[in-house]
Amino acid sequence: MVRVLVVDDHPMWRDAVARDLGDAGFDVVGTAGDGDQAVRVAKATRPEVAVLDLNLPGLSGVEVARQLAAADPPCRVLVLSASGEQADVLAAVTAGATGYLMKSASRDELVDAVRRTADGDPVFTPGLAGLLLGEYRRLATTPGGASTPELTERETEVLRFVAKGLTYKEIAERLVLSHRTVQNHVQNTLTKLQLHNKAQLVRYAMEQGLDD
Amino acid sequence: MPTGLDRALWRAVAAFRVLSLGYAGGLIVHHRHLYDRPVVAWSVLGGMAVWTVLATKLYAVRAPHPGALLLVIDLTLAVGAVLATRAALSADRIAAGDPTLPVAWAAAPVLAWGVAAGPLGGALAGLAVSAADLVERWSAPSEATINGVVLLLLGGLVVGYVVQLARAAQAQLARAVQIEAATRERDRLAARIHDSVLQVLALVARRGGEIGGDAAELGRLAGEQEIALRTLVASPPQATQAGSSDLRALLTPYASSTVSVAAPAESVLLSTDAARDVADAVAAALDNVARHAGAGARAWVLVEDEGTAVVVTVRDDGEGFALGRLEEAAGSGRLGVDRSIRGRIRALGGDLAVTSSPGVGTEVEMRVPRTHQG
Repeated sequence: MVRVLVVDDHPMWRDAVARDLGDAGFDVVGTAGDGDQAVRVAKATRPEVAVLDLNLPGLSGVEVARQLAAADPPCRVLVLSASGEQADVLAAVTAGATGYLMKSASRDELVDAVRRTADGDPVFTPGLAGLLLGEYRRLATTPGGASTPELTERETEVLRFVAKGLTYKEIAERLVLSHRTVQNHVQNTLTKLQLHNKAQLVRYAMEQGLDD
Repeated sequence: MPTGLDRALWRAVAAFRVLSLGYAGGLIVHHRHLYDRPVVAWSVLGGMAVWTVLATKLYAVRAPHPGALLLVIDLTLAVGAVLATRAALSADRIAAGDPTLPVAWAAAPVLAWGVAAGPLGGALAGLAVSAADLVERWSAPSEATINGVVLLLLGGLVVGYVVQLARAAQAQLARAVQIEAATRERDRLAARIHDSVLQVLALVARRGGEIGGDAAELGRLAGEQEIALRTLVASPPQATQAGSSDLRALLTPYASSTVSVAAPAESVLLSTDAARDVADAVAAALDNVARHAGAGARAWVLVEDEGTAVVVTVRDDGEGFALGRLEEAAGSGRLGVDRSIRGRIRALGGDLAVTSSPGVGTEVEMRVPRTHQG
Protein backbone atom coordinates (compact mmCIF):
# COMPACT_ATOMS: atom_id res chain seq x y z
CA MET A 1 0.00 0.00 0.00
CA VAL A 2 1.22 3.44 -0.87
CA ARG A 3 1.82 5.59 2.22
CA VAL A 4 0.25 9.04 1.82
CA LEU A 5 0.40 12.30 3.81
CA VAL A 6 -2.39 14.88 3.35
CA VAL A 7 -1.54 18.53 4.07
CA ASP A 8 -4.26 21.20 4.01
CA ASP A 9 -5.19 23.93 6.47
CA HIS A 10 -8.92 23.33 6.07
CA PRO A 11 -10.01 20.41 8.27
CA MET A 12 -13.13 19.59 6.26
CA TRP A 13 -11.26 19.43 2.98
CA ARG A 14 -8.35 17.55 4.57
CA ASP A 15 -10.64 14.88 5.99
CA ALA A 16 -12.54 14.48 2.72
CA VAL A 17 -9.32 13.97 0.75
CA ALA A 18 -7.92 11.58 3.37
CA ARG A 19 -11.15 9.57 3.35
CA ASP A 20 -11.27 9.40 -0.45
CA LEU A 21 -7.68 8.20 -0.61
CA GLY A 22 -8.28 5.67 2.18
CA ASP A 23 -11.34 4.32 0.35
CA ALA A 24 -9.29 4.02 -2.83
CA GLY A 25 -6.81 1.73 -1.10
CA PHE A 26 -4.08 4.16 -0.03
CA ASP A 27 -2.57 4.10 3.44
CA VAL A 28 -3.05 7.61 4.79
CA VAL A 29 -0.29 7.66 7.41
CA GLY A 30 -0.83 11.22 8.53
CA THR A 31 -2.46 14.59 8.03
CA ALA A 32 -1.23 18.09 8.80
CA GLY A 33 -2.84 21.54 8.97
CA ASP A 34 0.22 23.79 8.69
CA GLY A 35 3.68 23.76 7.14
CA ASP A 36 5.75 23.03 10.23
CA GLN A 37 3.43 20.22 11.28
CA ALA A 38 3.68 18.76 7.76
CA VAL A 39 7.47 18.52 7.97
CA ARG A 40 7.30 17.02 11.48
CA VAL A 41 4.66 14.42 10.58
CA ALA A 42 6.55 13.51 7.40
CA LYS A 43 9.72 12.84 9.43
CA ALA A 44 7.81 10.57 11.79
CA THR A 45 5.66 8.69 9.25
CA ARG A 46 7.89 8.62 6.12
CA PRO A 47 5.15 8.88 3.50
CA GLU A 48 5.87 8.03 -0.15
CA VAL A 49 3.48 10.68 -1.48
CA ALA A 50 2.38 13.99 0.05
CA VAL A 51 -0.80 15.65 -1.22
CA LEU A 52 0.03 19.28 -0.51
CA ASP A 53 -2.03 22.49 -0.46
CA LEU A 54 0.20 25.55 -0.98
CA ASN A 55 -1.88 27.99 1.02
CA LEU A 56 -0.62 27.08 4.49
CA PRO A 57 -0.07 28.94 7.77
CA GLY A 58 3.48 28.82 9.16
CA LEU A 59 6.13 27.33 6.86
CA SER A 60 5.09 28.07 3.27
CA GLY A 61 3.77 25.35 0.98
CA VAL A 62 6.70 25.91 -1.40
CA GLU A 63 9.22 25.39 1.41
CA VAL A 64 7.37 22.26 2.59
CA ALA A 65 7.55 20.89 -0.98
CA ARG A 66 11.30 21.57 -1.07
CA GLN A 67 11.98 19.88 2.28
CA LEU A 68 9.80 16.83 1.57
CA ALA A 69 11.31 16.30 -1.88
CA ALA A 70 14.81 16.53 -0.41
CA ALA A 71 14.05 14.13 2.47
CA ASP A 72 15.70 10.72 2.76
CA PRO A 73 13.97 8.58 1.59
CA PRO A 74 12.43 11.19 -0.73
CA CYS A 75 8.73 11.87 -0.58
CA ARG A 76 7.01 12.65 -3.88
CA VAL A 77 4.90 15.78 -3.72
CA LEU A 78 1.59 16.26 -5.51
CA VAL A 79 0.40 19.85 -5.23
CA LEU A 80 -3.38 20.02 -4.83
CA SER A 81 -4.09 23.69 -4.93
CA ALA A 82 -6.58 26.38 -5.77
CA SER A 83 -6.34 28.30 -9.01
CA GLY A 84 -4.92 31.79 -8.81
CA GLU A 85 -1.73 30.76 -7.02
CA GLN A 86 0.24 30.36 -10.24
CA ALA A 87 3.54 31.77 -9.02
CA ASP A 88 3.45 29.48 -5.98
CA VAL A 89 2.65 26.45 -8.12
CA LEU A 90 5.64 27.13 -10.36
CA ALA A 91 7.88 27.67 -7.32
CA ALA A 92 6.70 24.42 -5.70
CA VAL A 93 7.29 22.45 -8.89
CA THR A 94 10.78 23.87 -9.43
CA ALA A 95 11.47 23.12 -5.76
CA GLY A 96 10.76 19.44 -6.36
CA ALA A 97 7.02 18.73 -6.51
CA THR A 98 6.27 16.35 -9.38
CA GLY A 99 2.60 16.99 -9.90
CA TYR A 100 -0.11 19.61 -9.77
CA LEU A 101 -3.85 19.17 -9.65
CA MET A 102 -6.49 21.84 -9.16
CA LYS A 103 -8.86 21.49 -6.23
CA SER A 104 -11.74 21.35 -8.67
CA ALA A 105 -10.50 17.94 -9.88
CA SER A 106 -12.83 14.98 -9.33
CA ARG A 107 -12.16 12.16 -6.89
CA ASP A 108 -11.20 9.79 -9.70
CA GLU A 109 -8.71 12.31 -11.07
CA LEU A 110 -7.22 12.74 -7.60
CA VAL A 111 -6.89 9.00 -7.00
CA ASP A 112 -5.34 8.54 -10.44
CA ALA A 113 -2.94 11.45 -9.84
CA VAL A 114 -1.76 10.07 -6.48
CA ARG A 115 -1.21 6.67 -8.06
CA ARG A 116 0.85 8.17 -10.91
CA THR A 117 2.83 10.32 -8.48
CA ALA A 118 3.64 7.21 -6.43
CA ASP A 119 4.85 5.52 -9.65
CA GLY A 120 7.19 8.45 -10.29
CA ASP A 121 5.25 9.89 -13.24
CA PRO A 122 4.74 13.63 -13.29
CA VAL A 123 1.15 14.84 -13.10
CA PHE A 124 0.59 17.78 -15.42
CA THR A 125 -2.38 20.01 -15.92
CA PRO A 126 -2.57 22.31 -18.95
CA GLY A 127 -2.10 25.16 -16.46
CA LEU A 128 1.21 23.74 -15.20
CA ALA A 129 2.43 23.20 -18.77
CA GLY A 130 1.65 26.87 -19.51
CA LEU A 131 3.64 27.92 -16.43
CA LEU A 132 6.65 25.82 -17.47
CA LEU A 133 6.59 27.19 -21.03
CA GLY A 134 6.60 30.70 -19.56
CA GLU A 135 9.43 29.86 -17.16
CA TYR A 136 11.68 28.45 -19.91
CA ARG A 137 10.98 31.57 -21.95
CA ARG A 138 11.89 33.76 -18.99
CA LEU A 139 15.12 31.83 -18.36
CA ALA A 140 16.04 32.11 -22.06
CA THR A 141 15.74 35.89 -21.96
CA THR A 142 17.57 36.37 -18.63
CA PRO A 143 21.35 36.22 -18.88
CA GLY A 144 22.43 33.14 -16.92
CA GLY A 145 25.36 31.68 -18.79
CA ALA A 146 25.76 28.16 -20.13
CA SER A 147 23.87 26.55 -17.25
CA THR A 148 20.48 27.91 -18.37
CA PRO A 149 18.20 24.96 -19.12
CA GLU A 150 16.66 24.82 -22.58
CA LEU A 151 13.92 22.72 -24.10
CA THR A 152 14.49 20.76 -27.29
CA GLU A 153 12.10 21.51 -30.14
CA ARG A 154 10.32 18.23 -29.50
CA GLU A 155 9.96 18.95 -25.79
CA THR A 156 8.51 22.38 -26.49
CA GLU A 157 6.11 20.82 -28.97
CA VAL A 158 4.95 18.22 -26.43
CA LEU A 159 4.63 20.77 -23.65
CA ARG A 160 2.53 23.05 -25.87
CA PHE A 161 0.20 20.14 -26.65
CA VAL A 162 -0.17 19.43 -22.90
CA ALA A 163 -0.94 23.11 -22.30
CA LYS A 164 -3.64 22.94 -24.97
CA GLY A 165 -5.33 20.04 -23.20
CA LEU A 166 -4.25 17.06 -25.29
CA THR A 167 -3.79 13.76 -23.47
CA TYR A 168 -0.50 11.84 -23.75
CA LYS A 169 -2.32 9.36 -25.99
CA GLU A 170 -3.51 12.10 -28.34
CA ILE A 171 -0.02 13.64 -28.42
CA ALA A 172 1.52 10.25 -29.17
CA GLU A 173 -0.88 9.79 -32.08
CA ARG A 174 -0.24 13.24 -33.52
CA LEU A 175 3.54 13.01 -33.32
CA VAL A 176 3.69 9.28 -34.11
CA LEU A 177 5.55 8.51 -30.91
CA SER A 178 5.06 5.93 -28.20
CA HIS A 179 3.08 6.87 -25.10
CA ARG A 180 6.22 6.26 -23.03
CA THR A 181 8.29 8.65 -25.17
CA VAL A 182 5.76 11.43 -24.70
CA GLN A 183 5.84 10.78 -20.96
CA ASN A 184 9.65 10.97 -20.98
CA HIS A 185 9.59 14.29 -22.81
CA VAL A 186 7.20 15.73 -20.23
CA GLN A 187 9.31 14.33 -17.39
CA ASN A 188 12.43 15.93 -18.90
CA THR A 189 10.89 19.39 -19.02
CA LEU A 190 10.31 19.13 -15.26
CA THR A 191 13.62 17.49 -14.31
CA LYS A 192 15.73 20.07 -16.16
CA LEU A 193 14.06 22.88 -14.28
CA GLN A 194 14.41 21.16 -10.90
CA LEU A 195 18.10 20.37 -11.51
CA HIS A 196 18.72 23.96 -12.55
CA ASN A 197 16.99 25.16 -9.40
CA LYS A 198 19.08 22.84 -7.22
CA ALA A 199 22.30 23.95 -8.96
CA GLN A 200 21.34 27.58 -8.41
CA LEU A 201 20.81 26.91 -4.70
CA VAL A 202 24.18 25.13 -4.39
CA ARG A 203 25.96 27.93 -6.25
CA TYR A 204 24.27 30.50 -4.07
CA ALA A 205 25.30 28.59 -0.94
CA MET A 206 28.93 28.37 -2.13
CA GLU A 207 29.04 32.05 -2.97
CA GLN A 208 27.69 32.87 0.46
CA GLY A 209 30.16 30.46 2.11
CA LEU A 210 27.36 28.45 3.60
CA ASP A 211 28.51 25.08 2.30
CA ASP A 212 30.26 22.85 4.79
CA MET B 1 -19.95 65.82 18.94
CA PRO B 2 -17.08 68.32 18.80
CA THR B 3 -14.09 66.90 16.96
CA GLY B 4 -10.55 67.16 18.30
CA LEU B 5 -9.95 69.98 15.83
CA ASP B 6 -12.94 72.03 17.12
CA ARG B 7 -11.88 71.62 20.72
CA ALA B 8 -8.35 72.75 19.85
CA LEU B 9 -9.64 75.82 17.96
CA TRP B 10 -11.85 76.98 20.85
CA ARG B 11 -9.02 76.40 23.31
CA ALA B 12 -6.85 78.66 21.15
CA VAL B 13 -9.52 81.41 21.20
CA ALA B 14 -9.82 81.05 24.98
CA ALA B 15 -6.02 81.28 25.36
CA PHE B 16 -6.01 84.44 23.24
CA ARG B 17 -8.75 85.90 25.45
CA VAL B 18 -6.85 85.23 28.69
CA LEU B 19 -3.49 86.49 27.38
CA SER B 20 -5.00 89.66 25.88
CA LEU B 21 -6.84 90.25 29.18
CA GLY B 22 -3.47 90.15 30.93
CA TYR B 23 -2.07 92.69 28.46
CA ALA B 24 -5.11 94.98 28.84
CA GLY B 25 -4.93 94.70 32.66
CA GLY B 26 -1.22 95.55 32.62
CA LEU B 27 -1.81 98.64 30.47
CA ILE B 28 -4.70 99.88 32.63
CA VAL B 29 -2.59 99.51 35.81
CA HIS B 30 0.29 101.28 34.11
CA HIS B 31 -1.94 104.18 32.89
CA ARG B 32 -4.06 104.43 36.08
CA HIS B 33 -2.85 108.02 36.72
CA LEU B 34 -3.80 109.21 33.24
CA TYR B 35 -7.52 108.38 33.47
CA ASP B 36 -10.06 111.14 34.08
CA ARG B 37 -12.41 108.62 35.63
CA PRO B 38 -10.32 105.64 36.82
CA VAL B 39 -13.45 103.94 38.19
CA VAL B 40 -14.69 103.42 34.62
CA ALA B 41 -11.38 101.81 33.65
CA TRP B 42 -11.43 99.49 36.67
CA SER B 43 -15.08 98.55 36.03
CA VAL B 44 -14.37 97.77 32.40
CA LEU B 45 -11.38 95.63 33.40
CA GLY B 46 -13.55 93.78 35.93
CA GLY B 47 -16.22 93.19 33.32
CA MET B 48 -13.65 91.92 30.86
CA ALA B 49 -12.27 89.49 33.45
CA VAL B 50 -15.72 88.15 34.31
CA TRP B 51 -16.64 87.73 30.60
CA THR B 52 -13.30 86.04 29.86
CA VAL B 53 -14.10 83.32 32.40
CA LEU B 54 -17.76 83.04 31.33
CA ALA B 55 -17.04 83.04 27.58
CA THR B 56 -14.33 80.41 27.92
CA LYS B 57 -16.79 78.13 29.72
CA LEU B 58 -19.73 78.84 27.41
CA TYR B 59 -17.77 78.35 24.18
CA ALA B 60 -16.25 75.13 25.52
CA VAL B 61 -19.66 73.75 26.48
CA ARG B 62 -21.36 74.68 23.23
CA ALA B 63 -18.58 73.68 20.81
CA PRO B 64 -18.56 73.16 17.90
CA HIS B 65 -21.58 75.48 17.32
CA PRO B 66 -21.63 78.31 19.89
CA GLY B 67 -24.89 79.75 18.55
CA ALA B 68 -25.67 83.27 17.27
CA LEU B 69 -26.69 84.66 20.67
CA LEU B 70 -23.39 83.92 22.35
CA LEU B 71 -21.45 85.33 19.38
CA VAL B 72 -23.53 88.55 19.33
CA ILE B 73 -23.19 89.08 23.11
CA ASP B 74 -19.44 88.48 22.84
CA LEU B 75 -19.08 91.00 20.04
CA THR B 76 -21.35 93.58 21.74
CA LEU B 77 -19.33 93.43 24.96
CA ALA B 78 -16.09 93.95 23.05
CA VAL B 79 -17.54 96.92 21.16
CA GLY B 80 -18.89 98.29 24.45
CA ALA B 81 -15.47 97.99 26.12
CA VAL B 82 -13.88 99.90 23.22
CA LEU B 83 -16.51 102.64 23.35
CA ALA B 84 -16.17 102.92 27.17
CA THR B 85 -12.66 104.26 26.60
CA ARG B 86 -14.24 107.67 25.87
CA ALA B 87 -15.76 107.72 29.36
CA ALA B 88 -12.46 106.96 31.06
CA LEU B 89 -10.07 109.13 29.06
CA SER B 90 -10.19 112.81 28.17
CA ALA B 91 -10.59 113.76 24.52
CA ASP B 92 -7.03 115.14 24.59
CA ARG B 93 -5.48 111.87 25.62
CA ILE B 94 -7.51 109.99 23.02
CA ALA B 95 -6.37 112.42 20.38
CA ALA B 96 -2.79 111.92 21.63
CA GLY B 97 -3.15 108.26 20.61
CA ASP B 98 -3.63 106.49 23.95
CA PRO B 99 -4.75 102.89 23.47
CA THR B 100 -8.35 101.80 24.01
CA LEU B 101 -9.15 100.12 27.34
CA PRO B 102 -9.48 96.51 26.06
CA VAL B 103 -6.68 96.82 23.41
CA ALA B 104 -6.14 93.37 21.85
CA TRP B 105 -8.86 91.75 24.00
CA ALA B 106 -11.44 93.24 21.58
CA ALA B 107 -10.07 90.95 18.86
CA ALA B 108 -11.16 87.79 20.74
CA PRO B 109 -14.75 87.84 19.36
CA VAL B 110 -13.32 88.43 15.86
CA LEU B 111 -11.41 85.15 16.23
CA ALA B 112 -14.52 83.46 17.65
CA TRP B 113 -16.63 84.60 14.68
CA GLY B 114 -13.95 83.42 12.29
CA VAL B 115 -13.86 79.98 13.90
CA ALA B 116 -17.65 79.72 14.09
CA ALA B 117 -18.67 81.27 10.75
CA GLY B 118 -15.69 81.25 8.42
CA PRO B 119 -13.91 84.15 6.67
CA LEU B 120 -17.10 86.16 6.16
CA GLY B 121 -18.05 85.92 9.85
CA GLY B 122 -14.53 86.88 10.87
CA ALA B 123 -14.48 89.86 8.53
CA LEU B 124 -17.92 91.07 9.75
CA ALA B 125 -16.87 90.91 13.40
CA GLY B 126 -13.62 92.64 12.50
CA LEU B 127 -15.64 95.37 10.80
CA ALA B 128 -17.83 95.87 13.90
CA VAL B 129 -14.88 96.21 16.28
CA SER B 130 -13.08 98.49 13.79
CA ALA B 131 -16.18 100.67 13.56
CA ALA B 132 -16.11 101.08 17.35
CA ASP B 133 -12.42 102.00 17.15
CA LEU B 134 -13.11 104.62 14.49
CA VAL B 135 -16.07 106.11 16.42
CA GLU B 136 -13.77 106.26 19.42
CA ARG B 137 -11.20 108.37 17.59
CA TRP B 138 -13.50 110.11 15.14
CA SER B 139 -11.95 113.48 15.97
CA ALA B 140 -8.41 112.44 15.03
CA PRO B 141 -7.97 108.97 13.53
CA SER B 142 -4.22 108.24 13.61
CA GLU B 143 -2.19 105.92 11.38
CA ALA B 144 -2.12 103.44 14.26
CA THR B 145 -5.92 103.37 14.23
CA ILE B 146 -6.05 102.64 10.51
CA ASN B 147 -3.42 99.92 11.04
CA GLY B 148 -5.57 98.38 13.74
CA VAL B 149 -8.63 98.39 11.50
CA VAL B 150 -6.75 96.66 8.66
CA LEU B 151 -5.26 94.12 11.07
CA LEU B 152 -8.65 93.27 12.56
CA LEU B 153 -10.30 92.83 9.16
CA LEU B 154 -7.47 90.70 7.77
CA GLY B 155 -7.23 88.73 11.03
CA GLY B 156 -10.91 87.83 10.90
CA LEU B 157 -10.65 86.85 7.24
CA VAL B 158 -7.49 84.78 7.63
CA VAL B 159 -8.60 82.96 10.77
CA GLY B 160 -11.92 82.08 9.12
CA TYR B 161 -10.18 80.88 5.98
CA VAL B 162 -7.56 78.79 7.78
CA VAL B 163 -10.21 77.20 9.96
CA GLN B 164 -12.17 76.26 6.84
CA LEU B 165 -9.04 74.71 5.33
CA ALA B 166 -8.29 72.77 8.50
CA ARG B 167 -11.86 71.45 8.64
CA ALA B 168 -11.70 70.32 4.98
CA ALA B 169 -8.34 68.65 5.60
CA GLN B 170 -9.76 66.89 8.62
CA ALA B 171 -12.79 65.66 6.67
CA GLN B 172 -10.46 64.35 3.98
CA LEU B 173 -8.34 62.59 6.55
CA ALA B 174 -11.44 61.00 8.06
CA ARG B 175 -12.48 59.76 4.61
CA ALA B 176 -9.00 58.33 3.96
CA VAL B 177 -9.07 56.53 7.29
CA GLN B 178 -12.50 55.16 6.39
CA ILE B 179 -11.30 53.91 3.00
CA GLU B 180 -8.28 52.32 4.59
CA ALA B 181 -10.47 50.56 7.14
CA ALA B 182 -12.74 49.34 4.33
CA THR B 183 -9.75 47.98 2.41
CA ARG B 184 -8.50 46.19 5.50
CA GLU B 185 -11.94 44.73 6.04
CA ARG B 186 -12.02 43.54 2.43
CA ASP B 187 -8.64 41.84 2.84
CA ARG B 188 -9.83 40.19 6.03
CA LEU B 189 -13.00 38.99 4.30
CA ALA B 190 -11.00 37.70 1.35
CA ALA B 191 -8.80 35.70 3.70
CA ARG B 192 -11.82 34.29 5.52
CA ILE B 193 -13.59 33.45 2.26
CA HIS B 194 -10.45 31.80 1.00
CA ASP B 195 -10.20 29.69 4.11
CA SER B 196 -13.80 28.63 4.39
CA VAL B 197 -16.36 29.48 1.73
CA LEU B 198 -14.19 28.57 -1.25
CA GLN B 199 -13.12 25.29 0.34
CA VAL B 200 -16.71 24.34 1.07
CA LEU B 201 -17.82 25.25 -2.47
CA ALA B 202 -14.98 23.16 -3.90
CA LEU B 203 -15.99 20.30 -1.62
CA VAL B 204 -19.63 20.54 -2.72
CA ALA B 205 -18.52 20.59 -6.35
CA ARG B 206 -16.45 17.48 -5.83
CA ARG B 207 -18.99 15.47 -3.78
CA GLY B 208 -21.80 16.48 -6.13
CA GLY B 209 -19.88 15.13 -9.09
CA GLU B 210 -19.40 11.82 -7.29
CA ILE B 211 -23.02 11.37 -6.26
CA GLY B 212 -24.24 12.16 -9.78
CA GLY B 213 -27.76 13.04 -10.96
CA ASP B 214 -29.24 16.26 -9.57
CA ALA B 215 -26.37 16.51 -7.12
CA ALA B 216 -23.93 16.64 -10.01
CA GLU B 217 -25.75 19.69 -11.37
CA LEU B 218 -25.59 21.33 -7.93
CA GLY B 219 -21.94 20.44 -7.73
CA ARG B 220 -21.29 22.00 -11.13
CA LEU B 221 -23.01 25.22 -10.05
CA ALA B 222 -21.01 25.29 -6.80
CA GLY B 223 -17.83 24.80 -8.82
CA GLU B 224 -18.63 27.72 -11.10
CA GLN B 225 -19.40 29.94 -8.11
CA GLU B 226 -16.13 28.90 -6.52
CA ILE B 227 -14.18 30.07 -9.56
CA ALA B 228 -16.20 33.31 -9.83
CA LEU B 229 -15.79 34.12 -6.14
CA ARG B 230 -12.11 33.30 -6.20
CA THR B 231 -11.58 35.70 -9.08
CA LEU B 232 -13.52 38.35 -7.16
CA VAL B 233 -11.59 38.16 -3.88
CA ALA B 234 -8.18 37.60 -5.47
CA SER B 235 -6.04 40.66 -4.89
CA PRO B 236 -6.31 43.06 -7.83
CA PRO B 237 -3.46 42.71 -10.33
CA GLN B 238 -0.51 44.94 -9.57
CA ALA B 239 -0.49 48.26 -11.31
CA THR B 240 1.55 48.08 -14.50
CA GLN B 241 3.00 50.85 -16.63
CA ALA B 242 0.42 53.38 -17.71
CA GLY B 243 -1.41 52.39 -20.87
CA SER B 244 -0.60 48.70 -20.68
CA SER B 245 -2.55 45.76 -19.25
CA ASP B 246 -1.73 42.25 -18.12
CA LEU B 247 -3.46 39.97 -20.63
CA ARG B 248 -3.60 37.17 -18.03
CA ALA B 249 -5.81 39.26 -15.76
CA LEU B 250 -8.28 39.69 -18.63
CA LEU B 251 -8.32 36.02 -19.62
CA THR B 252 -8.27 34.09 -16.31
CA PRO B 253 -11.90 35.02 -15.55
CA TYR B 254 -12.93 32.84 -18.51
CA ALA B 255 -11.73 29.72 -16.66
CA SER B 256 -14.61 27.41 -15.71
CA SER B 257 -15.39 23.74 -15.36
CA THR B 258 -15.16 23.40 -19.15
CA VAL B 259 -12.53 26.04 -19.95
CA SER B 260 -8.88 25.83 -18.88
CA VAL B 261 -6.63 28.90 -19.04
CA ALA B 262 -2.85 28.30 -19.11
CA ALA B 263 -0.43 31.22 -18.89
CA PRO B 264 3.06 32.15 -17.65
CA ALA B 265 3.58 32.99 -13.99
CA GLU B 266 4.67 36.50 -14.94
CA SER B 267 2.50 39.24 -16.38
CA VAL B 268 1.98 39.36 -20.15
CA LEU B 269 1.83 43.05 -21.01
CA LEU B 270 0.11 44.50 -24.05
CA SER B 271 -1.15 48.01 -24.65
CA THR B 272 -4.52 48.35 -22.91
CA ASP B 273 -6.42 48.58 -26.21
CA ALA B 274 -4.63 45.59 -27.75
CA ALA B 275 -5.13 43.51 -24.59
CA ARG B 276 -8.85 44.29 -24.63
CA ASP B 277 -9.15 43.39 -28.31
CA VAL B 278 -7.34 40.08 -27.78
CA ALA B 279 -9.56 39.31 -24.79
CA ASP B 280 -12.65 40.08 -26.89
CA ALA B 281 -11.36 37.79 -29.65
CA VAL B 282 -10.82 34.99 -27.11
CA ALA B 283 -14.33 35.55 -25.76
CA ALA B 284 -15.70 35.30 -29.30
CA ALA B 285 -13.74 32.09 -29.90
CA LEU B 286 -15.05 30.57 -26.67
CA ASP B 287 -18.55 31.65 -27.61
CA ASN B 288 -18.02 29.85 -30.91
CA VAL B 289 -17.06 26.70 -29.00
CA ALA B 290 -20.17 26.90 -26.83
CA ARG B 291 -22.42 27.37 -29.89
CA HIS B 292 -20.97 25.04 -32.46
CA ALA B 293 -18.56 22.52 -30.93
CA GLY B 294 -21.34 20.38 -29.56
CA ALA B 295 -22.57 19.49 -26.07
CA GLY B 296 -19.89 18.68 -23.52
CA ALA B 297 -17.08 20.18 -25.57
CA ARG B 298 -14.23 21.52 -23.49
CA ALA B 299 -11.85 24.33 -24.37
CA TRP B 300 -8.26 25.23 -23.52
CA VAL B 301 -6.77 28.71 -23.71
CA LEU B 302 -2.95 28.99 -23.83
CA VAL B 303 -1.18 32.35 -23.45
CA GLU B 304 2.48 32.50 -24.55
CA ASP B 305 4.81 35.47 -24.43
CA GLU B 306 7.40 35.31 -27.20
CA GLY B 307 8.88 38.70 -26.45
CA THR B 308 8.23 40.33 -29.82
CA ALA B 309 4.75 38.81 -30.04
CA VAL B 310 2.05 37.34 -27.85
CA VAL B 311 0.44 34.07 -28.95
CA VAL B 312 -2.97 33.02 -27.69
CA THR B 313 -4.38 29.64 -28.67
CA VAL B 314 -7.97 28.50 -28.15
CA ARG B 315 -8.50 24.78 -28.72
CA ASP B 316 -11.62 22.69 -28.27
CA ASP B 317 -12.31 18.97 -28.40
CA GLY B 318 -15.67 19.41 -30.13
CA GLU B 319 -17.03 18.28 -33.46
CA GLY B 320 -14.70 20.30 -35.65
CA PHE B 321 -15.23 20.64 -39.39
CA ALA B 322 -13.44 19.94 -42.68
CA LEU B 323 -11.24 22.92 -43.54
CA GLY B 324 -12.34 22.76 -47.20
CA ARG B 325 -15.75 23.77 -45.99
CA LEU B 326 -14.46 26.88 -44.24
CA GLU B 327 -15.89 29.31 -46.78
CA GLU B 328 -19.15 27.38 -46.91
CA ALA B 329 -19.31 27.47 -43.13
CA ALA B 330 -18.60 31.17 -43.13
CA GLY B 331 -21.37 31.67 -45.66
CA SER B 332 -23.85 29.76 -43.53
CA GLY B 333 -23.11 32.02 -40.58
CA ARG B 334 -21.52 29.29 -38.58
CA LEU B 335 -18.20 31.08 -38.63
CA GLY B 336 -19.67 34.53 -38.31
CA VAL B 337 -17.90 34.96 -35.02
CA ASP B 338 -14.69 33.80 -36.63
CA ARG B 339 -14.80 36.77 -38.96
CA SER B 340 -15.07 39.12 -36.01
CA ILE B 341 -12.09 37.37 -34.41
CA ARG B 342 -10.09 37.67 -37.63
CA GLY B 343 -11.00 41.35 -37.97
CA ARG B 344 -9.83 42.16 -34.43
CA ILE B 345 -6.52 40.35 -34.76
CA ARG B 346 -5.78 41.77 -38.23
CA ALA B 347 -6.45 45.29 -36.94
CA LEU B 348 -3.69 44.71 -34.39
CA GLY B 349 -1.30 43.69 -37.18
CA GLY B 350 -1.53 40.06 -36.12
CA ASP B 351 -2.16 36.71 -37.79
CA LEU B 352 -4.88 34.17 -37.26
CA ALA B 353 -4.53 30.45 -38.01
CA VAL B 354 -7.50 28.09 -37.84
CA THR B 355 -7.01 24.33 -37.92
CA SER B 356 -9.86 21.90 -37.65
CA SER B 357 -10.91 18.45 -38.66
CA PRO B 358 -14.13 16.55 -38.07
CA GLY B 359 -14.23 14.67 -34.79
CA VAL B 360 -10.98 16.20 -33.50
CA GLY B 361 -12.00 19.75 -32.71
CA THR B 362 -10.88 23.21 -33.72
CA GLU B 363 -7.81 25.23 -32.87
CA VAL B 364 -7.56 28.98 -33.31
CA GLU B 365 -4.09 30.51 -32.94
CA MET B 366 -3.83 34.29 -32.66
CA ARG B 367 -0.41 35.93 -32.91
CA VAL B 368 -0.26 39.63 -32.04
CA PRO B 369 3.00 41.57 -32.48
CA ARG B 370 4.22 43.82 -29.72
CA THR B 371 4.71 47.17 -31.34
CA HIS B 372 5.28 49.64 -28.56
CA GLN B 373 6.63 47.93 -25.51
CA GLY B 374 9.31 45.24 -25.26
